[in-house]
Parts: sequence; structure tokens; C-alpha cells
Amino acid sequence: MTPPVPIPHPTGPLAGYRVLDLADEKGQLCARLLGELGADVIKVEPRDGDRTRENGPFFRGEKGPDTSLYWWTMNAGKRSITCELKLEAGRALLHQLVAQSDIVIETNMPGTSAALGLDYATLERVNPGIILVSITNFGQTGPYKDWLATDIVGSAMGGQMHLSGDDEHGPVRTLAPQAYTQGSFQAAVGAMTALYARGVNNGAGQHVDVSMQEAMANAMDNAQATWDIRRVNLQGPGVRRNNRGDKGPQYLFEAADGWVACLQAGGLIGPQGGPIIDWLSEAGEANGLDSPEWREKLGALVPLSPEDTAYVEQTMAAFARTRPKLALVEEAQRRQSGWAPVLSPREIVDCEQLAARDYWVRVQHDDLGESFIYPGAPIIFGETPWKQRGRAPHAGEHNEQVYGELLGLDAAELRRLKMRMVI
Amino acid sequence: MGDQLKLPFEGLRVADFAWVGVGPTVSKYLADHGAEVIRIESTTYPEALRRAGPFVDDEPGIDRSGYYANFNSSKLGMSVNLKHPRGTELAKRLVAQCDVVTESYTPGTMKRFGLDYEALREVRPDVLMISMPLYGQTGPWSPWSGYGHVLQAAAGYNHLTGWADGPPIGTGVAYTDFLVPHVAAAALIAALDYRRRTGKGQYIDFGQLDAAVHGLGTAMLDWTANGHEQVRMGNRDPEAAPHGCYRAKDGRYVVIACFTEKQWDGFKAALGRPDWCDLERMRRVWQRLNEQKEIDFHTQAWIEDHTVDPKRPDVVDPDGPEMAPIQQFTTEQVVAHFQKFGVPAGIVQSPEAMHADPQLRHRHHYWTLKHPVMGDRTYDGPAFRLSKTPGRLTKAAPCLGEDNEYVYREVLGLSEEEFIELLADGALE
Repeated sequence: MTPPVPIPHPTGPLAGYRVLDLADEKGQLCARLLGELGADVIKVEPRDGDRTRENGPFFRGEKGPDTSLYWWTMNAGKRSITCELKLEAGRALLHQLVAQSDIVIETNMPGTSAALGLDYATLERVNPGIILVSITNFGQTGPYKDWLATDIVGSAMGGQMHLSGDDEHGPVRTLAPQAYTQGSFQAAVGAMTALYARGVNNGAGQHVDVSMQEAMANAMDNAQATWDIRRVNLQGPGVRRNNRGDKGPQYLFEAADGWVACLQAGGLIGPQGGPIIDWLSEAGEANGLDSPEWREKLGALVPLSPEDTAYVEQTMAAFARTRPKLALVEEAQRRQSGWAPVLSPREIVDCEQLAARDYWVRVQHDDLGESFIYPGAPIIFGETPWKQRGRAPHAGEHNEQVYGELLGLDAAELRRLKMRMVI
Repeated sequence: MGDQLKLPFEGLRVADFAWVGVGPTVSKYLADHGAEVIRIESTTYPEALRRAGPFVDDEPGIDRSGYYANFNSSKLGMSVNLKHPRGTELAKRLVAQCDVVTESYTPGTMKRFGLDYEALREVRPDVLMISMPLYGQTGPWSPWSGYGHVLQAAAGYNHLTGWADGPPIGTGVAYTDFLVPHVAAAALIAALDYRRRTGKGQYIDFGQLDAAVHGLGTAMLDWTANGHEQVRMGNRDPEAAPHGCYRAKDGRYVVIACFTEKQWDGFKAALGRPDWCDLERMRRVWQRLNEQKEIDFHTQAWIEDHTVDPKRPDVVDPDGPEMAPIQQFTTEQVVAHFQKFGVPAGIVQSPEAMHADPQLRHRHHYWTLKHPVMGDRTYDGPAFRLSKTPGRLTKAAPCLGEDNEYVYREVLGLSEEEFIELLADGALE
């Protein structure tokens, strides 16, 4: 198959490529990202709708086939067809689509894809250029390949969770599922790498085997190297930061209206601390840290004693507590110190930075007669601009369009397939 | 046929001006899959990670940081002082020989060096350039500096990580540094493919915050559509119970998640059907979500009773003698036990356990590469395996300026005299 000539209306670098999305929580975001990059993404669902339509939360808390905010988030901009892969006629339909597609994304347990006609050997016969992206818990082969996992298991077995948490309570997971997110994002890189490889290798497709555990392993900061070099196991530092294997000074401080993320004790500790000490000094709240002895001690690269660290942290904590977080961050940034505010979802939507970048888009939900604010362009391309492609689809919403335009099936044929419970 | 296939990015050359976590991770993908990636650094203004540990033998040194090394496998290293009068010209001569330029300075820095996109496309019309600072090229926060530790806070990850009613502790790592590069890399390779087909390069304005917000799951729409703000809740999940992290006897933690009734049934069977499991208020997941405190209490007790500390195998529970002996497992066995009953479960693995993990070993996740100063060190490989053109880590991270002679003499085509003159003049510092 020859690669597509890019469509003249530029809606992303992947315009002209087609992706079939048969993924669950582990891969829907991967397909969505390829859609954001311009690919035509078709979600393939069973006749009664994809299982993940049952994932909460729901619009106004009302459960229904089209009210899952999970579904809205992960599938915005995709088209949807229904197709029963348990029936041979369904598999035959899918294979006809595979013949006209570039990438297939699936998340079945290893070894179970063949029954659905989704294994690489079968797809390669149908379309030698196809790229099959399989995202699984632990990979296609190996001792844990049959182990079950959800996000928290990926976060734990992938090591990242060991670095998150505190001494008192133990490890903690991020509420927004990061093993799923990481698996999806890293799978997208794999898909793109295989796509590029196809272009330089006479159209040869291949199988991209992605492990959610491994994706989390890649989010371990310098903990992997710290074990390798120092034989120290980093673990959750709470409001502090890990520092080459030891718990470093506090980096999160409570402000008058929330929290701020600072460097080492707000930047007071370290060679660039001078302007922050000046700031406290000007405010009359330096607590003596502006003396020449303290300045020298704070600027040296030698770690402070625990008592000194506590004193510095208390000084910064008292200073931060009386001031609003954005005012603190703006002044710290003016003094060349890389602070940031701790923001909640509401504050992210309200923040002036993303507004100034025209980040947010309103997506029409014609079925509800309302529109909602969605996160916008994850990337700004100079030549191939980003475009939002609408809300998440209803199950089978694009059956006529996709089966009609791509496979040339007419209304009578589609009716027959419906009666045979294939679509 | 497999052997004759080209590696995906073979023949592409990348000028990598980026530093710290995000940019080098993007170019690592290209390097590990065949591109010639040249890290452009300076001894006068060394890359931040070269100054951050862990250092081999705990001895700080510019070529001794494991932090830097891990993100820079398979790359070449050159040095140039962009503030030297000839610095810009040398960098431009390199870019003229490159397909891709990556950078992650705060906006305006590349322009001050005379190396912004407009200047670079004059020397290389089809160049593909990506800029990847925290907040992108525009907006009031774009001049702000920082690292992944603080960007994760601005991007909502701290708010969503921690204990209910506790501080927004975040992930414990510079999280966005290990999240957004994958989005940037996917975008960059997509644009490379567009270039391959059309001959057109372009400029990509990548703001780390913009991409990071896409990793927040349903948190954004829950706010914009429902007016509900999600907030950290420890290891619980709004849709699953049991869902948590439980301490085993040996001090390690076991995670368990039951989203479906089938998993709950498996969980009950794995526990040996204790009475509390069959209470009416435990029947459905929406009921169990109200009973999480009790579920966590029983689960924690069960895990502790049924695991042993291999270092102290003979210690018996003082309440034990009068009760029937409890079958005890190692932490690994207890996880396998839950898996056998169809319950998603795992161990919170330490970095040490990760290095010994048989699955990661099977997939050859960690590569051991020999570095001239650091010796044999482990490096992370990509989370994906391409069946026909798999990535491979070809060499350890470069020492600063390690490949100067190759880059200046062979890529830029300088004569030996010119090269020595530049060296003597401090242009390579």
C-alpha cells in the first residue's frame, strides 16, 4: 500500500492516515492522540456499545450509554462503528477495513486476539502494511503475560508508586490513572516509529508490543540510576523531594490560598538562593537567614544539618503562609526562581496562561443541545494546524458513513448485516 | 527479510539543543531507533543533569551522573560555546547538515543566539524544529522557569495525588518530565513523516503544560461539564472497592483492585469467604463504595495474617496458638494467589525489585552499557518492541564533547587547522 498523499486541508501531520481503535482503558488515549495529530480514528464497538461507556463519572451523575465523561474524554473526535468480532461475518468486515487502514490499536490479553481475528499474523495477511499496536499489562510474552492488571497494578509493578507517598502512610497512586496514560502515550510513540519505518522500508508494517508496566518503569525519574549506582531504594518523600537517594528539603509549602511548589525550601537552599534571601530580607521575615554566615551556608553545595534544614523550612513556611500562591510564584519567578502554583482542575481552566494560548475549545454536544469546555491543542504545529473534530460518538453513529464510503455497502446490505446482528 | 530492513530513523541527523528531562527523552527515542543525535552542550554552561546525581562513587563530575546518562543513550556529544563570537556560526553549520532541531530553553533564548526557526530555515529550508519549554512560546507564564517537579503542580498532578485531607504531595518525581516527552515525540515523528512525504519541515511550539493536561483522565471534564472537582483520595478509586494498597509482613505493599463483580467474587474466594464478605451491604459495587473503610480494614488484616517476613519466619502471632494455623505466603505468593483467583493484584516494586523483575528481564527493559568514565550502567529502554525494526541502545551517554572531532571535522567539514584554532580560541567550551 502506498502512503497517503497528505490531504490539502491541513488538520494535522497525520491527515490521510486511518486508525482502527479496538482498545479499552489501556489504549483509547493512544488512539485519541493519533486523532489529535490528524489521523481519521474509527472506534470499533460491539453492537451493544463498548464496555468503557459504563466508566464513570457520568454527566450530571446520570448513568447512560452516552453520558460517561470517561467516554467523552477518551473518544472525542473519533467516529464509531459497531461490528461483532465474535461472528465470522464481523471479522470479515473488520478485515476489509484493515485493508484500508494504517494502524490498528488493541488491548486484548496476550493470546486472545486470534479468536477475534486481531492477531498480527492474520492482519499482516490482510494488509502487509498494517501496523498493529498491542497494549497489554506486561507485554505479549514473559512470565507475567497472563497477569491481570488495572491502573494501580501497573503503577505498583512499574515501580513508580514506590516513589510516591510518604513514610507514614506508604505508597500512593495518582487518582488520574497514570499507568493507562503512560501506556497510551508511549504506545503512540511506538505507533509513529513503526509508521515512519514503514515509509522507509517499502511499506512493511509490523507489530508494536507495548507493556504498561514498562511504560511506568520509564517514569521513575533517577530512581533506576540511583539504585544502579548507589544501591539506594528511593521511596515516597511526601512534601519533600528525593535528593540523590536521601530525603531532600521540603518543596511544597502552604500559601494563604493553597499550595506552592518551590525548589529546595523555596530556593533558599542552593547556589541560586541569594535573590530569595533578599526577598525575605526586604519583607523583614528572613529570620536571620540574610546574615553573611547563613548566606554562605545556604549557598554551599554541602547538605545542611537536619536542625538547620528545619529552621530554613520553618522560615519559608511562615513566609508563604501569609501570601496568595500566585503572588508568591510571580515574585519568585521575577527573582529567577522556578516556582509554580499547585492548581486544581478549576484553577487550570481559569489560569491566564492557557487562556492566553487559546487552549480551551468548546465542543458541541448536539444531542444534548449544549457545549462543554475541553482541553485543546496538545501541540501547536506551524504547517499542519490542529483541529478539534467534535464530541465522542454514539455506538455505531457512523456505520452508514464508514461502511458506505469505505466498503461501498448500500442501505440494503447494511440492513442485512443489522438483521444478522453483525453491526 | 527482517535483517534487510532499515532502522526507522537511519540516515536522519538531529541537532539536540534541549536539556534536562523532556528534550533528551524525545531525542533518545530517535537515537535508540537509528538516528544520529548530536547533543550540543557547553563546558561553560553545563547541562543541569550533569550536575545532578547520582554520581558514580558519590564523586560529582561532569561525566559521572547517572541521571544524565539514562536519558542520553545512543547519542553523540559535541560542545560549543554559543556565547563565543563564532558559536552561532558553528551551530548553524551543524544545523545545515541536520533534519531535526530540538530545544527546550525558555522562549527567546534561541533567538538571542541567532538560532530561531527563521534563522535556521535559511540554512536548512526543510528543517523540522521543536521547542519544548514548560509553558510554550506564548502567554504570560512563558518566561517562567522550572522543572518537572513544579510543572506537575501547575498541571494538576499534585492536586490529584496524596491522602484525602492531606497535602498535595504529588508523585514524588519530576513527573511531567516523564510524561510529556512521549506526546512531543509522537508529534515530532508524525511531523517527520509529513516531511518525508511532502518535503516540508515546520516549527512545532510544544508547551509542556498544554500536553500534561491531556493526561488528567476525566478530571477536566468532570469540572467543566459537572462542576465537580476531583481531589486526591489516597489509593481509593471512585468506581472500585476494594481498591487499595496493603502492607505485607515483610514491609512491602500489595495492591488489589476489584472493578467488576467477577473480580469481587474472585477476591472473596481468594480470602476463603470470610463472613464479612457476604454481608448484604457488600453485595454490589455501589454498596461496597460506602464500606471502603471496613473493606480496607479486613483486607489489611488478611494480608498481614497471611504473609511472612522471610527474615523472621519463626515469629508466630501471639494470638495464634488457640486458632487454626493460618497458611502463610511470601508477598510474591500472595499476589500470585490473588491472580489465580482472577483478581488484579501486584507488589509495589522498589527500584531494586524492578532490576530483578523476571518480566522486565524477559523483555530486556534494562540495558547495560559501558561508559568510559562510569563503567557498566543500566539504562531504560523503550516500553514498546517493534517486531521488525526493534530499537537498540547502541552506546552509553556521551562524555561532554566526546565526539567533537567527528562532528567538527566530518559533519561540518572543518580542516584540522581550523578545528585546532577553534579549540585554542575557546569556541568549544
